[in-house]
Amino acid sequence: MQTLIQNLIASGLFGKNPPSELVAAIVVFVMSALVFVAVALPFAGIVTWVERRVWARIQSRVGPNRVGPQGFLQWLADGVKVVCKEDIVPDDADARLFKLAPYLVMLAFILPWAVMPFSSSLILADMNVGILYMTAVTALTVVGVLMAGWASNNKWSLIGGVRSAAQIVSYEIPAGLSIFPVVLMTGTLSMQGIIRAQGWAPQHWFLFANPFTFVAANILYMSSLAEANRTPFDLPEAESELVAGFATEYSGWRYGCFSMAEWGNLFVIGAIITTLFLGGWQFPHVTNNVVAMNVLEVIAFLVKVLFLVFVSMWIRATLPRVRIDQLMTACWKYFVPISFVDMIGTAVWVTIWPEGNAAMGYIMFAGAIVLGAIFIQRVIYYLRRSRMEVYFNPTI
Amino acid sequence: MSTLRTEEMTLNMGPQHPSTHGVLRFVVRADGEVMREAIPDVGYLHRSIEKIAEKVGYRGFMPYTDRVDYVCAMFTNQGWGMACEKIAGIEVPKRGEYCRVIAAEFNRIASHLLSVGAMAMDIGAMTPFAHVIREREMINDLIEELCGARLTFNYMRIGGVAWDLPPGWREKALAYLDHFDPILEEYNALISWNKIYIERLANVGVITPAEAINYNLVGPNLRACGIKWDIRKDIPYSVYPEFEFEVPVGTGQWGKLGDSMDRYVVRIREMAESSKILRQALEKIPPGAVLAKVVRNFKPPAGECQIRLESGRGDMGWYLVSDGTGYPWRVHVRTGSFAAMGIIQKLSAGLMIADLVTLIASLDVIAPEIDR
Amino acid sequence: MIAVSEYVHNIKDTVSTIFEGMAVTASHFMRKPYTVQYPDRMPVRVQDTLPFRYRGILEVDLEICTGCLACERACPIDCIVIVADKDQQTRQLLLSQFDIDIAKCMYCGLCSEACPTGSIHHTTEFEGADYSLESLIRRFVQDPVMAYKAKKGPETDPRIAPILNRGMAYLDQWAQPGGEKPGGEEPA
Repeated sequence: MQTLIQNLIASGLFGKNPPSELVAAIVVFVMSALVFVAVALPFAGIVTWVERRVWARIQSRVGPNRVGPQGFLQWLADGVKVVCKEDIVPDDADARLFKLAPYLVMLAFILPWAVMPFSSSLILADMNVGILYMTAVTALTVVGVLMAGWASNNKWSLIGGVRSAAQIVSYEIPAGLSIFPVVLMTGTLSMQGIIRAQGWAPQHWFLFANPFTFVAANILYMSSLAEANRTPFDLPEAESELVAGFATEYSGWRYGCFSMAEWGNLFVIGAIITTLFLGGWQFPHVTNNVVAMNVLEVIAFLVKVLFLVFVSMWIRATLPRVRIDQLMTACWKYFVPISFVDMIGTAVWVTIWPEGNAAMGYIMFAGAIVLGAIFIQRVIYYLRRSRMEVYFNPTI
Repeated sequence: MSTLRTEEMTLNMGPQHPSTHGVLRFVVRADGEVMREAIPDVGYLHRSIEKIAEKVGYRGFMPYTDRVDYVCAMFTNQGWGMACEKIAGIEVPKRGEYCRVIAAEFNRIASHLLSVGAMAMDIGAMTPFAHVIREREMINDLIEELCGARLTFNYMRIGGVAWDLPPGWREKALAYLDHFDPILEEYNALISWNKIYIERLANVGVITPAEAINYNLVGPNLRACGIKWDIRKDIPYSVYPEFEFEVPVGTGQWGKLGDSMDRYVVRIREMAESSKILRQALEKIPPGAVLAKVVRNFKPPAGECQIRLESGRGDMGWYLVSDGTGYPWRVHVRTGSFAAMGIIQKLSAGLMIADLVTLIASLDVIAPEIDR
Repeated sequence: MIAVSEYVHNIKDTVSTIFEGMAVTASHFMRKPYTVQYPDRMPVRVQDTLPFRYRGILEVDLEICTGCLACERACPIDCIVIVADKDQQTRQLLLSQFDIDIAKCMYCGLCSEACPTGSIHHTTEFEGADYSLESLIRRFVQDPVMAYKAKKGPETDPRIAPILNRGMAYLDQWAQPGGEKPGGEEPA
């Protein structure tokens, strides 16, 4: 990003002798606002539409398809509706905390976008503690959710808020521990550094580098789902028990803030996993044109992240919810010990093969393909057994 | 330093709630997440149906019986028909009985489908519910061709049924059963044997056999405790003795005997058994009349009678007192959900709030049946 | 503390059942949705696809109504109001009012079962929502009409014959008490 700005200043875009620090600061400011308004917010909206269509097909239904072509403007209509609703602050609620809580949750959603590596030169701030910053900042949701639960003056919201606080705080540990294997293998915490240590081909991804990182990737994904309050860990907003959990008393655009943060977090989760384990924006070097390469890299990054977002929706449609004590058991008795084992195993691995072991990459990749083939075979088995019509067209 | 002062919360899981099966209310005394007691509060759906019977007469009451338990409308219809026939000594023709059994078993499948689907949705999985509704829609299409309605059927009459099977219906029904059997296994693979689901259901709300009998539980709730009691086998009525089917009981293989998983699995297995009964009935149905000759102004002799039948929720009892006129003197329905509400208060001590929802769902409580 | 084997078994169970579940949902993703996209993306009107026995909104064919009041007596909800008096001059029944309150009606079918000619019958209409409660009282008699008198042989009037045939076909669908007829055929 800095080189980009230097190039822009050198090309004379801002006049003969601009005060370069001021110009750099303004450019970064404008670009951050642009990223947030033009990428993060529309994504949070569009993903609701995609989620509803994906769920609907999984449930033998159609999903919204009337508002705009294929229902594409449904999210806009919902957004306008949410904003136009009456903003009710309950009488006995602690008004200041009540109003502050959505902002904190939105903050936890906005801040990670500063280190989102879209391509080799498109990153707002390539901090040398990038991944640590991202983990730290996504944990701000605890404060917001707990505040929302308490300040609502509603026992059900309180239960939801306290559950959520316990859940997010607990699952920070396996998530943090699962980042260590990658850090051990690359020696850097910076997002671009980690991506550059991987290659564009799957066998060079950290996902397949050794069995410990494979398990760590899965643990990180599931812990991130738990931190984002997604099924199977969506107790804080368990619809059938506590109407909307900590957000029950919120209406109008404040509720919209919570929703947007939840759905936008899907992208953040996908981005973390993509950066650490799936090779980020890496793309084979097919052209020397810098702009074209950057575009291709952005596309590669988006494809990987959107695939993970799709998997999150798919999991939400499939699995039931776990209970709070089972959630804690899973975290402390299963995820944490396994993360420690991964960390130690990766440390041993890095000691034995400091440059990485290419053969293991190929073996793991082949194993993954075999797993995928088994999966497809099960899918075809279920398709054949039921006598329902097979229909691939998503635009029904 | 003095000990920390704690007090228990009193929560209201009110009549408007996304989970409870109908309009129920629970006053929950909880110590954080763990409950001390959940006191049920019923009566929100009381519509005086039993009193209405005294006003509309014998024939006119048949559509009202649909509303006693709208998920199992065929069974309530059959109950009222059987009560009137017993008190007046009317015999239903053979084909009429077969039609009744076919309609009733389809309704049992539909009712159990709704029960397992709603349970899955309360646990958090929304896809099984949508699949269940799709299957119910197919059954509703079949029954719509048979009697014209999709929920409140009013299919049976005093002395038989109101419509015979339309031409081509048998083939459609058999085709549906061929479609349904693999779908049931697919449903099991999706949710019933899912580890998270089993963990949520096992060892929750364990009811011992002695408790079940003391609290008057019936139907799948009773059979899940290991007690093999099914009115269709033990006090046979209609043409059930002519069919071969098993009565599934709980085995306690996922947790203790009589927990929610047993109740859930008993319902799944009962659906497979109903499918078997339906295939046999559709093969063996004899030709003939479906409705016995009953006078237009039905005036049964004075007296009282009681019948029992196995509805989707268990042993449903109909008690009828007649005074010789064209209007009944007293009608009373005894339903399985009413007894199930009683046991919830006892079982709730020590459960978590999430488990309360599981417990209510596993007991398959339908609110209109409790309050009538 | 649970044994190592149970620990590993738990993990294996979780992974394998989630794998199966996701395979089932993935297979559903590629199936045709069951939704009927009513009301505008339908090839045929829904009302025309419903079975003949469908118990929709009631309708009265006044041409074949005999004024016997069987439907009014049969209705458990008293939503049918009929006024049929003997006309002094012609010594025939004159129907001056036939109102059905479809807001009260519970679509049970007891009235159409009782009708001797099939004059009152259920249609396949179900879209009855309206803005005023008054419009939900269907008044079938505008000017007083003569009630129908059934003839000894087949109906000869070409105007009434098709209506009577349809009414009798509707009645044929109902079970005949003690009759051996195995159900009726749907009309052409």
